[in-house]
Amino acid sequence: MSDKDQLIKDHDYDGIQELNNPLPGWWLMTFYITIVFAVIYYSYYTFFGGPTSDEELAQQMSVISSEQQLAQETVPVKSEKDYLALLGNKEVLEQGKAEYALKCLACHGDKGQGLIGPNFADEYWINGDGSVAAILEVANNGVADKGMPGWKGVIPEETLEAVAVYIYSLQGTNPPGARPPQGEKVERK
Amino acid sequence: MSSTIKPNAGIMDRIIYDDDIVKMFIYATIFWGAAAFVVGLLAALQLAFWPANLELEWLTFGRIRPLHTNAAIFAFGGNIIFAGVYHSTQRLLKTRNFSDMLSKIHFWGWQLIIVGALITLPLGYTMGKEYAELEWPLDIAIAVIWVVFAINFFGTIAIRRVRHLYVALWFYIATIVTVALLHIVNSIEIPVALFKSYPVYAGVQDALVQWWYGHNAVAFFLTTPFLGLMYYYVPKAANRPIYSYKLSIIHFWSLVFIYIWAGPHHLLNTALPDWAQTIGMVFSVMLWAPSWGGMINGLLTLRGAWHRLRTDPIIKFLAVAITFYGMSTFEGPLLSIKSVSSLAHYTDWIIGHVHGGTLGWNGFLTFGIIYYLVPKLWNTKMHSERLMNWHFWIGFLGILLYYISMWASGITQGLMWQAIGENGQLVYPDFVETVMRIVPLYWVRFIGGALFLIGFLFLIYNVWVTIKHAPKKVKSYVEVSPLKADVTAIGTGHRKLEALSLVFTVILFISVLVGSVIEILPTLSIYKYLPSSEKTEPYTPLELAGRDIYIKEGCYVCHSQMIRKLPFDVLRYGPSSTIAESMYDHPFQWGSKRTGPDLARVGGKYPDMWHLRHMINPREITPNSIMPSYPWLAAKKIDYHILRKKFSVMKMLGVPYNEEEVANADIIAEKEAARIYEELLSQDKSLESAKDTEIIALISYLQCLGKKNLSEGETQ
Repeated sequence: MSDKDQLIKDHDYDGIQELNNPLPGWWLMTFYITIVFAVIYYSYYTFFGGPTSDEELAQQMSVISSEQQLAQETVPVKSEKDYLALLGNKEVLEQGKAEYALKCLACHGDKGQGLIGPNFADEYWINGDGSVAAILEVANNGVADKGMPGWKGVIPEETLEAVAVYIYSLQGTNPPGARPPQGEKVERK
Repeated sequence: MSSTIKPNAGIMDRIIYDDDIVKMFIYATIFWGAAAFVVGLLAALQLAFWPANLELEWLTFGRIRPLHTNAAIFAFGGNIIFAGVYHSTQRLLKTRNFSDMLSKIHFWGWQLIIVGALITLPLGYTMGKEYAELEWPLDIAIAVIWVVFAINFFGTIAIRRVRHLYVALWFYIATIVTVALLHIVNSIEIPVALFKSYPVYAGVQDALVQWWYGHNAVAFFLTTPFLGLMYYYVPKAANRPIYSYKLSIIHFWSLVFIYIWAGPHHLLNTALPDWAQTIGMVFSVMLWAPSWGGMINGLLTLRGAWHRLRTDPIIKFLAVAITFYGMSTFEGPLLSIKSVSSLAHYTDWIIGHVHGGTLGWNGFLTFGIIYYLVPKLWNTKMHSERLMNWHFWIGFLGILLYYISMWASGITQGLMWQAIGENGQLVYPDFVETVMRIVPLYWVRFIGGALFLIGFLFLIYNVWVTIKHAPKKVKSYVEVSPLKADVTAIGTGHRKLEALSLVFTVILFISVLVGSVIEILPTLSIYKYLPSSEKTEPYTPLELAGRDIYIKEGCYVCHSQMIRKLPFDVLRYGPSSTIAESMYDHPFQWGSKRTGPDLARVGGKYPDMWHLRHMINPREITPNSIMPSYPWLAAKKIDYHILRKKFSVMKMLGVPYNEEEVANADIIAEKEAARIYEELLSQDKSLESAKDTEIIALISYLQCLGKKNLSEGETQ
């Protein structure tokens, strides 16, 4: 049939006419399928015991936390000696310095002289004994009431170790404009 | 009123269509279109290169992005809708518009509202609700002008000489009725000052109402009126009959009925109750076919005119517009699937999706209509067909660059946010790293936008020269036959409905009301059913002052406050956000885009000094940050005085403040500010000028985020 035969009588609006074509079959089928999908999907999740979003999240988080635990267990425990050995490694110090510039510099100064946060270049320590392990502990978990954020999970572990080693290396550099000492004096062995 | 000239013959009426009003709206479309595109281009540039805001508070991204969206939707889109509606309705109903006076009030009222937006938005007067940013005086003006439009339109229907309403008019009716409903319900707010008010809804209620509105602004402002225009101008320009009358009926009713339910797809995986999220998703999926019904009817109407695709630029614009409509309305349901949304939401994929619709569908349809209308209205030919072709190709290339860069950006960043390593940790925990990766794509997007604008400049020049050389206007009448008094042959079924405009309008109103009521009503009482263990502290006076600065600066444009129920959101930002946490938030600030990180639990994460320095110059803290600097916050004084009024309005809205808190709100705030200031000063003596400045209030607000819910006070 040509379009002429399909024209609907009396449908003429300012010269616009309309054809009497049927609904395209594939289109109608698409519509039906989406409706059936909608009914099934909605019923399952709302009426017939599909998991709630809280349950799904809890399930996924438990998988993740067991992965985290596993990862924690497999990481070899490093001693202070292992960290101090890194002090001679230029690459590690460079990496630590670069990350320090992005994350620590804003509060602790470009040379570790201290700004908002404490001075790293003197022998006085507020939290811990100034060992790499102690610096790492603070860097990982932060000091909430002083506004020091914990970087665990934000800075990868290895990078954070490099940062801690770099900070350790700053002691005694006597930067200009250093913040006055705070905390306990700790002698390095 | 309709200026009918009764000819002697008595059989035919002679009428003169009001084309002056159409011309005025065309001018306005072109003028505001240029403005909207320029502001959009500036916003795009700022994301690639933040100093493009010239470090002026009025030009920061948070303030001009709303200006861009409002100008593009309501100024550019609105004016072409009105031009097309006034032009086509007169011809489809064979009558002059109901009232020239109302047409003029409509025109000038609308332009004044736009000017109002142009002034108030850069000044930071905003409701903080997307596409509904304008403050209450302008909200009232919009409602009044919209009613003027409605009276004029339905008046024209009442005096029509054609018994049956053509499909274009169904879409116009749907637009006028539903936009009124959406605008009024979403804008119920209590004024605090001339340009400051609080919406009556809070938190999840406000989120649901806002996205019911926001999504349906797309549906009933950018879709139904443009489908109406398509149904008139495509068959006219192609000189072809509409492909299928049946398809018109089915896709029209399914579209208007289903669209209204789909809003919650903007809130997938959030604290919105599951049942409402799932409704939003499944109705979005069901919307695919009704939307494509419009595309099919449009494209198949062009069938038989395909050869003109090569020669006639108007047909090119129209065909590409309809194709983009098809693409966007396929992508929309896809993005509404929960798992796809978890990747795409808050990313540039959404920005790309929206611009595929606005630049491709609304933009190109508008250009096609302008090129069709200008020669008709001015009784001449377009000055240059070559320029029209150039406009087409440059604009088309611009859209492609825009779309593709935003797809790439959105998917790249979305995947980076999602990536969790085998050790159960985020692979890209540092947010700014994911930003750095997409900045090059922001440049590509800028180029795409620039091309689109250049194409539009060709249109401006072409139209200008065409009109300049047009012959002196002659008012010509048309002869039309009067409405037949015989009503026995109006048909049956839907055909009959098309003749009964009032019944048609009522049925339409009911069909958009059903979904609205079912979705919104249960949420209005939601806070009554929260477990008693979920206790939330309302904001202190200083925190509220800071929150209003957060809203004023448009922080929500780039920062969300909604940690979704997704593992990678929880790993990055902390426990997922709850309904109780935002129960006193008038308006809600959940956000819809993460150009910067989520802030729902930023409170206590950094010291006050960190925030102060970060706000004044973000790059001092995060070297690669693309956030604007806000030095003026440390110069402007806090308006303590207004806090009592703000507290009394909040109390009226149900926030549990006592009389004493309301009466002393300003004094309490001053004390709070002094505490923060003294602490800052003790760390840096040069901060004396920061006393009582807005930054102190903003810090106090940021520091309370995520700390207000007592049952969940401990967050990591």
